[in-house]
Amino acid sequence: MRDQPLLIRIGMSLYLLMFFTYLLGPLVLMGITAFNSASFPQISPWEIFSFEWFSKLFADDRILEGLKNSLYVGFFTVILSVSMGLAGALILTQIWPKLRATYYTLIIAPILVPGVVIGISTLVFWAEINRILGLSPDSFLANGIFLTVLGQSTFIASYCMLVFVARLQRYDIGLTEAALDLGASHLQAFRKIQLPFLFPAMASSAVLAFLASFENYNTSIFTHQKFATLTIILSQKVRYGIDPSISALAFIIVCLTVFFALLNEVRTRRAQLAVANGAPVGAVTSGFKAPSFFAGNPAAVVFALFVAGVVATVAISQVYDPEPAKSVLLKEKRAAQELRIQALQQRLKDKRLQKKMKGPDIFNEEKVGAKPKSPGAKTFGNVFAPNNLEDAAGSAKDKNGLKSKSPGVNTFGNVFAPTNLEDAAGSKKKDAPKE
Amino acid sequence: MSSGVSVDLQDMWIKFGDFVAVREANVNIKGGDFFSFLGPSGCGKTTILRAVSGFLEPSDGNILIGGENMIGKGPNERPTALIFQNLALFPLMKVWENIAFSMEVRGASAGERRKRADELLDMIALSDQGDKLPSELSGGQKQRVAIARALCAEPDVLLLDEPLSALDLKLRQHMRTELREIQKRVGITFIYITHDQGEALTMSDSVAVMKAGIIDQIADGKSIYDDPSTAFVASFVGENNCFRGKISKIIDGQAVIDSNRTGALRGRIATGAQGKLSVGDDAMMFIRPEGLSLTDKEASDTRIMAEVHHSEFEGQSYNVFLEGTEGKEMKMALTNRGEAQLFDAGSNLKISFDANQAVIVPVGELASE
Amino acid sequence: MGWMLLILVLFWTVMLIILPQLYMFDLSFHPNLPPPEMGGPKDHHTLENYKYLVFGAPGNEDGYNKVDLLVFVRTLIAAAFVTVIDLMLCYPIAYFLGQTKGGGFIRILVLLLIIPYWINEILRAFAFRIIFGDSGVINEFLILFSVIDSPIDFIRANVALYAGLGYAYILLMIFPMYNVIESLDRNQIEAARDMGASWVTIHRRVVIPYAKPGIASGCTMVFMLSAGALAAPQILGGPSSLWFTQLVYQWFNTGSNWTQASSYAIVLLGACLVIVLTVMRLFKVNMGDIGK
Repeated sequence: MRDQPLLIRIGMSLYLLMFFTYLLGPLVLMGITAFNSASFPQISPWEIFSFEWFSKLFADDRILEGLKNSLYVGFFTVILSVSMGLAGALILTQIWPKLRATYYTLIIAPILVPGVVIGISTLVFWAEINRILGLSPDSFLANGIFLTVLGQSTFIASYCMLVFVARLQRYDIGLTEAALDLGASHLQAFRKIQLPFLFPAMASSAVLAFLASFENYNTSIFTHQKFATLTIILSQKVRYGIDPSISALAFIIVCLTVFFALLNEVRTRRAQLAVANGAPVGAVTSGFKAPSFFAGNPAAVVFALFVAGVVATVAISQVYDPEPAKSVLLKEKRAAQELRIQALQQRLKDKRLQKKMKGPDIFNEEKVGAKPKSPGAKTFGNVFAPNNLEDAAGSAKDKNGLKSKSPGVNTFGNVFAPTNLEDAAGSKKKDAPKE
Repeated sequence: MSSGVSVDLQDMWIKFGDFVAVREANVNIKGGDFFSFLGPSGCGKTTILRAVSGFLEPSDGNILIGGENMIGKGPNERPTALIFQNLALFPLMKVWENIAFSMEVRGASAGERRKRADELLDMIALSDQGDKLPSELSGGQKQRVAIARALCAEPDVLLLDEPLSALDLKLRQHMRTELREIQKRVGITFIYITHDQGEALTMSDSVAVMKAGIIDQIADGKSIYDDPSTAFVASFVGENNCFRGKISKIIDGQAVIDSNRTGALRGRIATGAQGKLSVGDDAMMFIRPEGLSLTDKEASDTRIMAEVHHSEFEGQSYNVFLEGTEGKEMKMALTNRGEAQLFDAGSNLKISFDANQAVIVPVGELASE
Repeated sequence: MGWMLLILVLFWTVMLIILPQLYMFDLSFHPNLPPPEMGGPKDHHTLENYKYLVFGAPGNEDGYNKVDLLVFVRTLIAAAFVTVIDLMLCYPIAYFLGQTKGGGFIRILVLLLIIPYWINEILRAFAFRIIFGDSGVINEFLILFSVIDSPIDFIRANVALYAGLGYAYILLMIFPMYNVIESLDRNQIEAARDMGASWVTIHRRVVIPYAKPGIASGCTMVFMLSAGALAAPQILGGPSSLWFTQLVYQWFNTGSNWTQASSYAIVLLGACLVIVLTVMRLFKVNMGDIGK
């Protein structure tokens, strides 16, 4: 890219920026709303920095129940789809060549079939099986968890199969032959040689399967019966009124995702670097040395910063108490309300007066009364309601309350940042000559 | 170790659909022999090896190892061990685990396995490399580990599928000697597949030369070189000059062939061709470059006149390329005795040869370069 | 061992893939009956469910079921629209990521690409509601700077829906293309440039033909998933614009009419397959290229 016209490069950079804003912006905004005490997930108007939605999230039985169901479904789906995907991929290598194309089309097809179609077909088919077997309508075969696992596994197994096929393509069948030649049975050759080779693929397909299961909606919505998964609970919540505890959940999920993605990236990168440097493989897995850990590994730097950030946030949430600020806000709100009532009464009075003579200040007051939440309300409170002096003081406290998070951030910065920054700077310096 | 077990292929055919990979192979390999299959790629030699080791069943015929018929037995039931072309070392196992794998599948304890692996590591001079992974070894070391792994299975027959082809020239030559030594030490039958005639000739007790699924000749290296049975063997093994003509006379195992270009030439009928040629047949005569020399002799049936195209100096010899026959230049190799022997292009030379070093075989396909 | 693999594969292909689809196909030709009457005298093959989709309820005066047909066609067109938008958005990114020489920066970008994909579909839609809602970020922002006086209803205008759908499947567009373009030898591009080809020509004659399997794979996935999406339309869809999957869901859930739902599902499946197979035929791409 270096030798392209400047214009194209600038354009490309801008485009990248826009694209990643589109990609990550929504998640960042959603995450921020989790910390706003306003009862609707919003950024402006910003009320108070608060962790209350997290507490509310952890106290929500339906969400916890959904989470439990999702974990159950995820667990069984992982087992079923990884084994079916593995079996499917292995059979693909064994199958009679003339059948291969047909077979491949068949096992890849579930990826292309809309999730709702899989959901419905799974449900109606197993209901029919249940009926033919003469089982009761609440038998095992009609159980929501069972059906959801089957429905999800139908297409998740295809994903797993693709992972295994990719890995198997790099497998030298000569290794199995060598094992057979050395006296191993087919089972031994598979277990001792081919299976260990497939372990990494098993791990990644298991993760893939779990994530796909965890976020699945289209299929589960038809099959879940009484066992609503987390996704379904969420969709109900979102459809019938949204509140920031969902943002809080999203924030947690985003953090977990980022954490594991970075962790994985750091590890692969480290292994790559070690191999590139010609270090023996053993050295890669042993010993954690900070400087080498960061060397040439921007992901590691990001990762460290991220972990520090999360630790700090959690620490702050333990120390930081939004209650005073919140009660202030509440009082303020109440005050605003009172004022509005007063204004209303005043207006009524005025109107009554108006019948006799024209009052000049009506519109002003009306305007003010209609905007209780806006920051202007505070000033208004001070000016127009001398009896609310306490509140005025409160609103000053409120400002302190808002500020109180910044000292916290600073502390975090002092505690965690310098080492990171040094490391980051150090690793950059090391990077510079390489790149 | 076991003292060599014979391997016999009896009327063996291997077909893939309509394609005949091996045609009616009959081979008797003596116990303890170093036996090579030599041929260009695609001639079916690897197919034979896979049939012996049990990875594919012959379409027809028998495979006997130590007199016992192996048809229907899988590779894990045969007393053979195969060294793969790419070695097929298990990448996730340590070197010693690789070597002792055959014991592991028989259920030997880790202690026993380690002990045996260390013995074999000593034998291949890799004593302290047992805990490494195969990827950490050099090409030659991997080679030796593959051999040790195969020997650990205590096979009666060791099969080697071009195991040296991935090595560089120097290492390859070194490994030839080493392989031969190992074979002498363990005394078991080696069956070796190669397209490199140097390997086949230096190491083997016997060589089978193959082309397109057919075994042309089975003999020791010297006979293969000096007394080829077919035009293919003559042209594939070493360099050879080919003359083609009609047989006009046969006397005492010698024959005279006539061609328009060179006149009558006399040579010896190949041992493997005796009885197959009669007067009036088309035949081919092969003379090695080193079998040609300059002469002052008058015209005879062991003398050729030829025009020089060009000549080159190659250290121990001068190579003179002359107007040839069969579309190829004729090559003469003259030993360097310190005299200038470069000839001008276009000069005419009188060249003679010994009739016993001129081998006559029936007309057949020549090996392509 | 072998038989275990075989059982697993047979269970998957027969019990999970083939038979349920066939049974649903068969079911879609049956009248909706309560369980006791199934298999009884009233149970017979009928085209009623399909007739309903085309002609509406018996005695319908319009002659056609305009509402449902319109939803059907609009879903397919909108899905195609989303696919095209995603393709145009992603091609430059895939090209940039695929052809820029490695380094940590590119790897981080790829990582950033992956992260949104692992966030729950519902939550992604939820994020777009926060952004596009009446008191969402955009409206608040616009009002703050006095660009508008009253909030714009992005939901009703389907802006939120298209943005959300495009967002949801953007990854499935980028990655197949990225994988293919990454394997394109840079020298080919440089050779083309050396011969005086313009950027447009390079892309038209070198990069795009090479990336065709990736493009086809990405488009197929995005189209199928958009047309089959349910969560995003439910959360982000305007009140007046239904997605075809929502009709299926309504028949199934609210209407408790499984046979009707099956027939709609079959129509959706059939339409998607026909479109995708046609496109694959037109662009000469094989099934084997999908899912790489």
